[in-house]
Amino acid sequence: MSTAKSGQVGRGGTSSDRYMNTAKSGQVGRGGTSSKEPQRKYTSRGKKMIVELKFMYILVRGEEWDDTFNEELFVKPFDSGQALFHFQFTTLWNASTAEPDSFTHYRLFPKALGDVLVKYQVQELHLSLTQGLWRYEKWGYPPVDAPPGVELWVWFLPTASNIDKTWSDLVNALSGLFCASLNFMDGKSTVLPRWSFRPMGLASEYYSFDSRFMRYSALPKEIVCTENLTPWKKLLPCASKVGLATLLNAMKLYDSYYSSLGIHVRPVCRMETCTEQSIELKQTLSVVFDPTISSNGQQNWQLRSLFGQPLSSQCPLASISKVYLDKTQLQSTDATVTLYPEPDEVMNFTRGGEKLTYAVWDIGRQISQHQQLNLALHYNRKIHFGEINPPPVYAQRFITGFGLEKGGITSIIYNNLDTNLTAIYMETIPWFLRLYFSSITITNHGIRVKPYKIHYIPGKDRTRQYQLELVFRLRPHSITKISMQFERAFLKWTEYPPDANHGFYVNSAIISTVLPNAYNYTACPQTSSVFGDSIRDNSTEFFLRLHTETLLVSLPTPDFSMPYNVICLACTVVAIAFGSIHNLTTRRFIAVDPDKKTGLIQKIKDKFRRKKTEEKVPELKASESIDQTKSDIKTKKEEENGKKKGIVVQKLDG
Amino acid sequence: MIFAILLSLSTSVLTVNTADPPVEEFFASNHTNNWAVLVDASRFWFNYRHVANVLSIYRSVKRLGIPDSHIILMVADDMACNPRNPRPATVFNNANQNINVYGDDVEVDYRGYEVTVENFIRVLTGRLPPSTPRSKRLLSDERSNILVYMTGHGGDGFLKFQDSEEISNVELADAFQQMWQKRRYHEIFFMIDTCQAESMFQKFYSPNILAVASSKVGEDSLSHHVDPAIGVYVIDRYTYYALEFLENVQPGSKKTMDQFFKVCPKFQCQSTVSVRTDLFQRDPKKTIITDFFGSVRNVELLTETLNLQDSTAEFSCSKDKCPEEKLQKTSVQLLSYAKQFPMPN
Repeated sequence: MSTAKSGQVGRGGTSSDRYMNTAKSGQVGRGGTSSKEPQRKYTSRGKKMIVELKFMYILVRGEEWDDTFNEELFVKPFDSGQALFHFQFTTLWNASTAEPDSFTHYRLFPKALGDVLVKYQVQELHLSLTQGLWRYEKWGYPPVDAPPGVELWVWFLPTASNIDKTWSDLVNALSGLFCASLNFMDGKSTVLPRWSFRPMGLASEYYSFDSRFMRYSALPKEIVCTENLTPWKKLLPCASKVGLATLLNAMKLYDSYYSSLGIHVRPVCRMETCTEQSIELKQTLSVVFDPTISSNGQQNWQLRSLFGQPLSSQCPLASISKVYLDKTQLQSTDATVTLYPEPDEVMNFTRGGEKLTYAVWDIGRQISQHQQLNLALHYNRKIHFGEINPPPVYAQRFITGFGLEKGGITSIIYNNLDTNLTAIYMETIPWFLRLYFSSITITNHGIRVKPYKIHYIPGKDRTRQYQLELVFRLRPHSITKISMQFERAFLKWTEYPPDANHGFYVNSAIISTVLPNAYNYTACPQTSSVFGDSIRDNSTEFFLRLHTETLLVSLPTPDFSMPYNVICLACTVVAIAFGSIHNLTTRRFIAVDPDKKTGLIQKIKDKFRRKKTEEKVPELKASESIDQTKSDIKTKKEEENGKKKGIVVQKLDG
Repeated sequence: MIFAILLSLSTSVLTVNTADPPVEEFFASNHTNNWAVLVDASRFWFNYRHVANVLSIYRSVKRLGIPDSHIILMVADDMACNPRNPRPATVFNNANQNINVYGDDVEVDYRGYEVTVENFIRVLTGRLPPSTPRSKRLLSDERSNILVYMTGHGGDGFLKFQDSEEISNVELADAFQQMWQKRRYHEIFFMIDTCQAESMFQKFYSPNILAVASSKVGEDSLSHHVDPAIGVYVIDRYTYYALEFLENVQPGSKKTMDQFFKVCPKFQCQSTVSVRTDLFQRDPKKTIITDFFGSVRNVELLTETLNLQDSTAEFSCSKDKCPEEKLQKTSVQLLSYAKQFPMPN
């Protein structure tokens, strides 16, 4: 009973939880009132029997369910001291988006996502939300590769029509589902890569070579935070209540070097015979912690310190619940490490010519024996950071040039293998960095390399991005450099974002190649859904996709405070000029005696003199006018004297 | 014995008397659902306090029962996962870091560059493009009580959005009038915490709007205190004291809007809290605070049993139904995985 009910409660959001609670309380109430009627009274023992019968029924029918759920955790400590924790939650369902009728009766597959996939006729969907940059030189290759920011690429069904409109509707629906601003992935930032993004699942050859059915877009500026993790967790069958997802504490996850959420949907073979397809939903979360930072210089770590709590439950809906730890590099160094608890199984196997050792813990067994799984790694010596062997192929990219008129982009690709490799290099450059196609050069230690194939679509102002795909050879043990020049455009003043001085982002470049061996390679093989199947992987070539750094470019940005400044300045000038001219034209000038002292004391004295004259005036009422004329004559005489001495003209208000 | 009888009589009398007020309250407010539109219109790290403001109100509203599907949260910048935040994925509204208002299950509907005047007015009036998802729509009806909370930098007659545009009080009043004409609300409680906030509600002319602002025209709303670890102010005064009041409100609380209006007197806020009640038909002294901040859950307990059919058995693939369909479906075609690298090695 608990399994079925926990599944239901886990899938609902907070609102449905409340409805469930009220319904339950209603039932309790009903139980209380119905106790008055003896016929309908159920004994507690009777209730238990019914519940157990239902449980048995579910168990018996369990083998007939159409969907399965697996949860796995892959741990890999790096030589540089950091540790990767890759959570993978895989749901397989005997349904297909090509047959919408099969997409009913959801059990483990999340309905919110399923409805979106069916409505927008999606065959494959790959969405990643990443914070941080993956350091290939130090950490090798991630299980799932993702650039900083958001990246979305989708293959639509062959029967889909009007893919542009479907894409913009899909992007809006996903933005609501994952609380990310995916609605900015409009026509201006969407491209159709020709060779770089083939379907990862089942597809016919004709279909997979026709890139009209797919769309790719990336937003490097998107931030990833708890608000994206919350809806991602709600898609899991057990949500974050039981199982591996209980470790996903946002405050710890986003305090890390690298944190990436991923949703990957693709059609896979239902059985080995591969006559029917199932849909596979892989929800991945990769996080790279640095234990030395969080635990005061100690390189030892345990789940409790990194995630805040140990693993204390298993999702009852999961068929496989396992933890894998890659011990290969730990054994090769002179460090002696102890793993706690003892692994249930240690697997030694070869993959692609590399010998690997994985320690495996079965979560169900560990929890039933020890009530919790607090995976811990103890180093028996102090921290020792040695030289790290870089992976076979890795790349760097940066902006060159100076000033705000022109610039350049340079990518450097390192090939440390003994063999030639063919690489596909894909770039998408925004329209305001006007790329010069003639300036694209590929050099290898100074020798010019001619690409096998070029696919270039120039950008159009405010409509389309520049899209470039180059296929060329990487020589063994060499460094290949790709460089191109661009010119920065002036944007219209309404096109600047509110924080215009931050700069504008350029998507990361994507390099695809095929490796002959699996050195540092951790991705799942294409034919399997479960991480554990990489142990049985006997393929001889390994597809690799690398993402370079995103770039931040400054455009010539106007000073947005200038309209305010100009208004102030203009108004001041007008006020001064107009005021002066007004004064000059409308004021009357009166001559003033320069000897007469003006000043505060003089003014006060003048006032006292006026008061005295005023006091005198009422006494002499009869001869007022005569005195007045006399005083007038006096002042006039003074003025005349003043004129002779050199006049100081004083303006009086007219 | 006699004392026990007297006690039982008195309690029965009390129960008889208290039966009437709950019935009155049940029918007092005619709304059936609650929505909240919470907007933070400021960008940049030094406006941390505006994000803390809006997240504090979000937290209270969620705690009192409004679900995420009924909350539209607009946050113009990311503070929690900002590289300058010394404690990632947290936003505190107090220097002693008691409450992480960002929480574990926050869902931001409009974030970053999406918080614009146009999007805000479209959300209020419902004139959104058809592809907008449900979580970004205000699907209110004529029996919805809506809480609209806005914070940011404001002036006399305007509120600044993200340092690049403004919404004026006339536009806002017209938006609310559109909502009234389209019957998109039953009652609105408008709360605004900016400088000269009173000016924003002076032009309202639609009925059933109750408004409170943190400052009068000509006054500035001030921030509360600095967190030395972060280096910026973490909360505004009015919202700080409003939050203190709301933390003491439980879902069944009987506190009224009138008590809420008295929350930040002049000596605490240093700006005068002003209120507009002339458009509101009910008496704020009788309006309980959970009418706007909480969510109505009128639950009726049934005493009769309902028999539900087990419909799962019908849809399972029973032997007589499915094989025919399966035969029609299976076209024996071997499927294969697509080749990932299309170039010859």
